[in-house]
Amino acid sequence: MKRSLNDKQKDLIQKFAALGSLVVLIIMFSVSSHAFFTVSNGMTVALQVTSIAYLGLGATCVIITGGIDLSVGSVLALSGVAAALMVKSGASVPVGMLTGVIVGALCGMVNGLCVTQLKLPPFIATLGMMLVARGLALEITGARPVSGLGDAFGVLGNGSLFRIESIGADGFPNVVFPGIPYPVILMVVLALLVAVMLSRTTLGRHIYAVGSNAEAARLSGVNVAQVTLFTYVLSGALAGLTGCVLMSRLVTGQPNEGVMYELDAIASAVIGGTSLIGGIGTISGTAIGAFVIGILRNGLNMNGVSSFIQQIVIGLVILLTVWIDQVRNRR
Amino acid sequence: MEQRHPAMQAVSPVELLSLHDVSKRFPNVLALDGVNFDLRRGEVHAVCGENGAGKSTLMKVISGQYQPDGGTFTFKGEPCRFESTHAAEKAGIAIIHQELNLVPQLSVAENIYLAREPRRGWFVDRVRMAQQAQHCLDRLGVHIKPGDKVRSLSLAQQQMVEIAKALSLDAEVLIMDEPTSSLTESETSQLFRVILELKRSGVGIVYISHRLDELEQIVDRVTVLRDGRYISTHDFAQTSIDDIVARMVGRALEDKFPERTSIPSEHCLLKVQDLQRKNVFGPVSFEVRRGEILGFAGLMGAGRTETARAVFGADPIDAGTVHFEDVLLDIGSPLDAIRHGIAYLSEDRKCEGLAVKMSLAANITMSNMAAVSNRFGFIRFREEAAVARRYIEALDIRTPSEHQIARHLSGGNQQKVVIGKWLFRDSRVLFFDEPTRGIDVGAKYAIYQLLDALAARGIGVVMISSELPEIMGMTDRVAVFHDGHITGVLNTRETTQEEIMQYASGLNPQACDASPTLNPQACVKPHSIELNREPSLETLAKR
Repeated sequence: MKRSLNDKQKDLIQKFAALGSLVVLIIMFSVSSHAFFTVSNGMTVALQVTSIAYLGLGATCVIITGGIDLSVGSVLALSGVAAALMVKSGASVPVGMLTGVIVGALCGMVNGLCVTQLKLPPFIATLGMMLVARGLALEITGARPVSGLGDAFGVLGNGSLFRIESIGADGFPNVVFPGIPYPVILMVVLALLVAVMLSRTTLGRHIYAVGSNAEAARLSGVNVAQVTLFTYVLSGALAGLTGCVLMSRLVTGQPNEGVMYELDAIASAVIGGTSLIGGIGTISGTAIGAFVIGILRNGLNMNGVSSFIQQIVIGLVILLTVWIDQVRNRR
Repeated sequence: MEQRHPAMQAVSPVELLSLHDVSKRFPNVLALDGVNFDLRRGEVHAVCGENGAGKSTLMKVISGQYQPDGGTFTFKGEPCRFESTHAAEKAGIAIIHQELNLVPQLSVAENIYLAREPRRGWFVDRVRMAQQAQHCLDRLGVHIKPGDKVRSLSLAQQQMVEIAKALSLDAEVLIMDEPTSSLTESETSQLFRVILELKRSGVGIVYISHRLDELEQIVDRVTVLRDGRYISTHDFAQTSIDDIVARMVGRALEDKFPERTSIPSEHCLLKVQDLQRKNVFGPVSFEVRRGEILGFAGLMGAGRTETARAVFGADPIDAGTVHFEDVLLDIGSPLDAIRHGIAYLSEDRKCEGLAVKMSLAANITMSNMAAVSNRFGFIRFREEAAVARRYIEALDIRTPSEHQIARHLSGGNQQKVVIGKWLFRDSRVLFFDEPTRGIDVGAKYAIYQLLDALAARGIGVVMISSELPEIMGMTDRVAVFHDGHITGVLNTRETTQEEIMQYASGLNPQACDASPTLNPQACVKPHSIELNREPSLETLAKR
């Protein structure tokens, strides 16, 4: 009885530790830079966080089952250029983007089949896909960016909702409210959907069960292979979507986009308390983790810290949070 | 080679090893209570007892893994106390565990000299290591090369490597824990030749085996333990296997079991015919009847668990059929079995039964999520909590709430959670694999009551157990396994522990050549019709 209370307290501490460090970061950067705590910078950070967050959602599900997906950075590039090439060859933008998402989902399916049917370790299966997808993206584009896609292609990445402008005295528009960028809206919607899926549905319960004890789940009648496959397909599809949004922001298909993004995704999940052993993790945690990384980058940038130092800081933050997690789980 | 060979020392009748009145206490359990044991040079001394009699604890005390809490321990005439297995090894006491401790990727010589490699300066002296290893292997007369990788060797050969390792330590006492449990007959006789050879050279061997039939080939003396207590030591020539068995099981059935209230019927629920997994078990045939508790008795590795898992679809089968109430089932996975109302409760709760990181409620509903969710797959949490609370009450699970993480429950309560999971699934045939292993006495009684209540509800209960008293106290019929086959199906009320033990050891000659389906008439007359007195069980029966 006493121990369980302590565990609950520990969990609470972990939750607040991540959230608390996020608040501390915001306060620190607000003090050190006046431009930091503004609506428009807030939207910038949110926009920057979107790609980590999309990938983090998939990564969280995969990691909860005890797996890992290293391929998402490459898959997003392949999906993005696939969408761009479709649009270039005359397809409408929605059809092109849908193609991108489907390409991502197919890559995820291959990952999932390698893991569940060929019994490859997830690390190896997705490492292979990481190379294959990147190679494919470079091959089909000849390693050149796909440009000339038209304005419509850029709407998803650059448009926003509730943007308010007023025409100033000089005749140029003044931005009263920058609006909520479409990618941010998408992020919130997707995070809510995945969170509901994980916490409130049978499927989500089974994902946790597989990660907590795959053999017990199998002997309880859970279709372990199917559940595992689903998480990889989800991760792939979200990588595909990330690719479309990123390429849309650039209005160009970039086959070199997304290098090392998989590590940001995994880091956001891990900072948010997802256990690499499986069975534990939440979407709210991953969202906090994504914002910790995003705000660190943005804040350090505004304070003129070089990108090299940024890498060092983010690396140390990951070590620190995972260490805290280890201490928490040690009993 | 400057090794002392035990053979070169004078073979004296003096005790090599002597333990007197030794005790060992664990939290809540007195594992050894006044045990005497001695070992002479050049003898094979068998230690017999049921599971849990204290054999392994005694071996761990001798080999330095545990330190005794009381009694005297002398080695070669001098009192001693080993603080670690390493210290015992240095003194000349080596143990060969049932599960071998070799590194498969390394060579034979590297394994023999692991962590004490002969060196030349900073480097391993490979030539000398190979020579010394060869010497040890030669003494055993086995054809294994020092350079062979261990993973390419058969189990018997690996065991020889373990013995060679013990020889390389100049061991004068060799403890063998179930050395033949995974060997074929010809490998066993090879092992026995080596044991006789070691004996001749003056090594004292402590031999533990469940296979009583093989004792007469090598054993000089036998010590029997029961419930952690010392029973007797005899010269093997002056006793018989029947005597040994009688002393092993000699305890009277105390009031450890609840009165049986269920009434077994003739109605056959599950009929298994000629089920077989090549090289694992079978063919076996048996049937489970409505309202009965059928015991699966036998030694470890006799194929009981494997049979249950195969019926449940957890492992593939090569041949055989399973009928449920005369309908032929096609079971390819646990999910298929569960759909037909068959459930299996693993002997390994932590690894195979529970999702320990998840809540009690999530574990109870895990195999029947559809019942607590709507058709879009959304979980109805209020209903799930109500279900969980219902089973917490009915099974008397001690927990602060249904949200408790399963890991924090005690062993008995974890077992009840797993049982609750299958009750919620409305299972009609339940296989319990060692349901009371690692559970304290009070919780055991509760589990027994539960098994009886399940049978009383018309469920067919199969209880796999290595504890004979449990089989005697709880079952209506008992199927005895030996070496992958059912050697007999006995009516519990008309049999004795001795008879079961004989079937389980493969000693009963008629059982060995009888077909596995013998005793079809072994059906039980309804006994005690007194109704259940536990209110919590009535709650159960309502469902």
